[in-house]
Amino acid sequence: MAHMSSTGMGALGPGQPRRLMRQRLRRRDEATAFAFVVPLVAIELALVVSPLLLAAYYSLFRVDYFELTRFRGLGNYVTILTSPMVLNALGATLVFSAFSLVLTLGLGFALALRFERDTRSSVAMRAIVLVPYVISMLVGSLLLRWIYPRDGGLSSMALGSLGLGDYSILADPRAAMAALVSNAVWRDSAFAMILLLAGLKAIPAELHQAARVDGASAWLRFRRITLPLLRIPILITLVRLLIHFVNVLTFALILTGGGPNNATQTMGLAMYRIGFIDFKLGEANALAVLVFVFNVGLIACNLVLFRQRRGS
Amino acid sequence: MSPRAPAWRKRRRNRRVAGWLVDILIAAFALGPILWGLSTSFKPPQAILAYPPEFVPSQPTLEHYALLFRTGIHRFVLNSVIVSAISVALALALGSLAAYALARLSFRGRSTLMFGTVALMSIPLPSVLVPTFMLLANIDLTNSLIGLALLYTAYQLPIVVWMLYGYFRSLPIELEHAAMIDGCSRLRTLRKIVLPLSGPGLVAAGLFVLTFAWNDFVVAVVMVSTEEAKTLPVAIYGYLGFYGRDWGPLTAAAMLSIVPVIAVFIAFQRYFLSGMTGGGVKG
Repeated sequence: MAHMSSTGMGALGPGQPRRLMRQRLRRRDEATAFAFVVPLVAIELALVVSPLLLAAYYSLFRVDYFELTRFRGLGNYVTILTSPMVLNALGATLVFSAFSLVLTLGLGFALALRFERDTRSSVAMRAIVLVPYVISMLVGSLLLRWIYPRDGGLSSMALGSLGLGDYSILADPRAAMAALVSNAVWRDSAFAMILLLAGLKAIPAELHQAARVDGASAWLRFRRITLPLLRIPILITLVRLLIHFVNVLTFALILTGGGPNNATQTMGLAMYRIGFIDFKLGEANALAVLVFVFNVGLIACNLVLFRQRRGS
Repeated sequence: MSPRAPAWRKRRRNRRVAGWLVDILIAAFALGPILWGLSTSFKPPQAILAYPPEFVPSQPTLEHYALLFRTGIHRFVLNSVIVSAISVALALALGSLAAYALARLSFRGRSTLMFGTVALMSIPLPSVLVPTFMLLANIDLTNSLIGLALLYTAYQLPIVVWMLYGYFRSLPIELEHAAMIDGCSRLRTLRKIVLPLSGPGLVAAGLFVLTFAWNDFVVAVVMVSTEEAKTLPVAIYGYLGFYGRDWGPLTAAAMLSIVPVIAVFIAFQRYFLSGMTGGGVKG
């Protein structure tokens, strides 16, 4: 009897149609479900979605110490889009993202192929390569910063033995950009490796075996089996890395500080500077909105790929 | 191997040695900067800038670590522990409720919610920092450990929901039916049947939140400026300005931040990977 009343069936007489009972159960499930998802929805709306909407609103004002002092219309956007600092940051972001993307994806792919089999040494090597990814980005960039400086850095000792003792990597715009890219490659190649490894594992081993029986070379199997079946994982990795590289702040803030002469000041760092160093919060919000619109495009790509992967 | 070994065997041996060398090179690139920092953190000040460099300190010292603890780094460590613990608890509690609803109940808006959850997973944090800071300043949640923990929960909930959703779906539904026939409510079924069976899923999701909260720098550096609420990464950033080129204390602080993470990572490697691919954990 106890179970009948507690599931709400006790109220229904024996003659009543089952449909009604099921309907009532479903309605109660729906109420439970709403109660269960309310915290998720509330916290996401409050702390992730509403800041984005607020950014759009704030971006129309001049903001002084959190006070909206004057309506500027699209004035902040004009200021941002004509600011040499922002345009310079756009260029730096493009260069940084392009080089980082190609190198990270390439190296990640190579690592995934090399450590694909689940031998003891492969599993151990995967863990070793992942260490730079699992530690804090701040500390990773800090440790690289201790490699690159002219005085005492490990790299300068290597350069010194080549007769380049006075050369300072972080003082040369191109070399500093290369150092920034090296930070991205050092940290994120393992991330690419893991995503691609998951894709490799999903390829049925029989395909390779059959092709081998037919006498296909390793290269041919790679071209005709691995690459085509890895198309979606590669694209997913590409999009996720791009979202990360376009927005990342820590690498530039810690490793190069944006220098020399703003050569490595990427968009994330520019936004941080405008907002929290110059304290021009109206303009910073306008830039945040612009960057976010760009991100939405990338996120949309990610969602489409996500759906395709699940569909296949 | 004898000099008369057949050529194929010699070739195979050469290939294996070459493979080891490549692996050692890869490991050196991955771990080199970390080991160099570890070595620096144990060197006395005059040895740090010595040329040629010592890779293993000849006179190891703990003075940099002692200096950090004398100047109160343990407060920042404690703050990081508190924020991480609250974030993990909140994210798992709220995440398992939502994931259960998505996995087992049918309701209006379910597919929209799934879609929204996946979309939120890929929002890049640096792009929302400015408005988030203004929002938190308006409701007086900057410089607050609770405020930070709430943000971390909000940022990690989508991935937690997604991971637990996958895990709950993989459990046999018959047990839950049996529990409900015995009169358990949905909440009780979740607590008594589903969660006890979901250990690996909860560990994987919890570790993801834990490392995120422990490692986070960009969110905390924007939201927190008082000493009372600084987490370890923000404190390390402060040292970077304060100690400048004094790399002894800097590398020592860096080691304090990463050693726990590396230990947890080695112990739970399998669980980490499932979170990165946004996929399910195999039980």
